[in-house]
Amino acid sequence: MPVLVSKSLRDYRSSLVRWTVGIGAFFALYLSFYPNISENKEIYGPQALAKFPGAMRDLMGGMEDFTSGIGYLSSVVYQLFGPMLFIVCAMILGNRAIAQPEESGTLELTVTLPIDRRRLVFERFVALALGLLAVATATFLLAWGLSVVSDMEVPVGRILAVHTGVFLLALFFGALSLTVGAATGRKGPAMAVVGVVAVGGYVVETLGKSVDAISWLRWVSPFHYYLDGRPLYQGFPVADYLVLAGATVVLLVTAVLAFDRRDVGV
Amino acid sequence: MTAVVETEGLTKFYGKRRGLEDLDLEIRPGEVFGYLGPNGAGKTTTIRLLLDVIRPTRGRMSVLGADPRDPAVRGRIGYLPGELALEGAERASAYLAFLGQARGGVSRDRIAALAERLDADLSVPMGKLSKGSKQKVGLIQAFMHEPEFLILDEPTSGLDPLVQQEFLAMVREVRASGRTVLMSSHVLAEVEQVSDRVGIVRGGRLVAVEDIAVLREKAVRRVELHFDAPVPREAFEDLPGVRDLRVEGAAVSCTIDGRPDALVKAAARFTVVHLVSAEPDLEEIFLAYYSESEQEGRHARAGV
Repeated sequence: MPVLVSKSLRDYRSSLVRWTVGIGAFFALYLSFYPNISENKEIYGPQALAKFPGAMRDLMGGMEDFTSGIGYLSSVVYQLFGPMLFIVCAMILGNRAIAQPEESGTLELTVTLPIDRRRLVFERFVALALGLLAVATATFLLAWGLSVVSDMEVPVGRILAVHTGVFLLALFFGALSLTVGAATGRKGPAMAVVGVVAVGGYVVETLGKSVDAISWLRWVSPFHYYLDGRPLYQGFPVADYLVLAGATVVLLVTAVLAFDRRDVGV
Repeated sequence: MTAVVETEGLTKFYGKRRGLEDLDLEIRPGEVFGYLGPNGAGKTTTIRLLLDVIRPTRGRMSVLGADPRDPAVRGRIGYLPGELALEGAERASAYLAFLGQARGGVSRDRIAALAERLDADLSVPMGKLSKGSKQKVGLIQAFMHEPEFLILDEPTSGLDPLVQQEFLAMVREVRASGRTVLMSSHVLAEVEQVSDRVGIVRGGRLVAVEDIAVLREKAVRRVELHFDAPVPREAFEDLPGVRDLRVEGAAVSCTIDGRPDALVKAAARFTVVHLVSAEPDLEEIFLAYYSESEQEGRHARAGV
C-alpha cells in the first residue's frame, strides 16, 4: 500500500471506528422498532401515513409503506438519516485530506516529501474511499444481520444494492469536501458547500417530484442518482450509480489539478 | 561544481503584498549559509519557494541542479519548517517512521541515535510535546535521511542551550561531510558560529551577502588593557579603528572597529598585565550593517 494511503488510514482509524459504532447504533436502534411496527399494521398502515401532508410525505420519501421489511428499510433507514450520517462522516474525512492539515500546518512538511502533489491528492482520496468502504462494509453486514434477526424478509442483494448506493453517495460528498479543501485550503468553505449541496440536493430530489418549478433541478441533485432508482425495490440502478461514480471522478480530477497549481499554507 | 541553490530575479507577491522581490542568490556546495533578517523580511518565503510549497510570481530557480517541482529533488533535501506543526495522539516515533518511509527508508537505529543525541522522547503523543520537544522531532526528521541539502528555518527556536550546542555540532558534521546547509534566523548569534557566509534580507530584498569572516572584521569590540604602570594617552590616540578611548592611569579601555591589530601593536610597547576583550555584540554589527547598506542605498539614489 502506498505510504501516504496507509499513513492516512492510520490517522483515520479511531475516527472510522467511532463512525462505524455510531452508524451501527443508528441501524440497530431503528431496526429494533420494526417488529413492533410490522405487528401493528392497522396503526402504521398506508391509511395512517396518508394523513400526513403531501409535501411532508414527499420530503420523507413518499412514506408509502412502513410495515413491510423493504418499505421500513427504505423509508426509515435508507431514505434520509442513513445517507446523511454517511455524508457527514465522508465530509469530515474529506476535510482531513487537505484542508484540515493545511489549516493546522501539518501539510507543509507533507508537501515537501518526495511525493508528487497530484499523487498526494490521489492517495488521500484512496484513503478516504477505503475508509468509507470499511465503514460501509461493517454497517452493511450489521444491517443485513439485523434484517434477518427481525424477520424483514429483504433479499440480501437488495440491501447490498442500497448500501452500495449510500457508499457511492457518501464518497461523492467526501470527494466534494476534499475538492473544495484542495482548491481553497480551508475547511469552512468545504463544509458549507457540502451542506448546501446535500440539503439542497435532498430537498430538490424529494419535493421536485411534485413541484414542477424545481423538478428539472433533480437532474443535478446527487440524491437523484441514489433515490430515484429505488435500489431496495429494484436492485442495482447501474446507470445512476455510474453517474455518481463518474461525478466523483470529475471532482477528484478537479481536486488534483487545483491543488497542483496553488500555494500551500498562505 | 554547480550551485546548490541558484535563483535569478525570484519574486513572490501575495496578492499585492510583497513577500520577496528580485532575489539573486547562490548557495555553493559544502557551505553553511546563514540567512538573516527580521521577522517578515522574506526568509520563510524564500525557503518555501525553494521547496515548492509556494510558487514564484516570477523569476527562476534551481535547487540541486533541478526544478523544485521535481519531487525527486525534495527527497534529497532535509527541511525544518519555521512553524513546525505536530499534533494528535500519534507518537513521534510513528511519524518519523512514516516520513522516513516516504523518503525512501531510514533505519530505526539512525532515528534512535539522533533522538539520543538531542535527548528527545519519541514515545509521547505529539500533541502533548512542548515547543522545544517538537523542535527536536523536527530536527531529527530533517537530519535523519542524511540529505545533501538541509534547509532549516529558525532551527534553534525553543531549544535549550545544551541542545543548541548539540545541534550546531550536527551542522558542523554535515558541513564536514561536504553537504550544504541553509539556515535562517533573526538573530545573528544563532548562525554566526557555524556559517561560512550570511545573507541579509530585509523588506523582501536581499541587502547583503557577506563572508562571516568579513562580517566579523566589522565587529565592534570593547577592549580593556591593564598595564603594570600608568601609560601616556598619546600612545593610543589616533590609532586606526580605535574609538571611545579612555586612559585612566594604568588602564586603557576603548572600542575597536574591525581588526585589533593597531591597538595590540601600540600596547606591546608596555607591559600588559591583563587584557579583556568582550565578545563583539553581534546584534550591533548586524544593525550597523543594515544602516550602512541603507545609507549606501540612499547615496546611490541621490547619485552620489
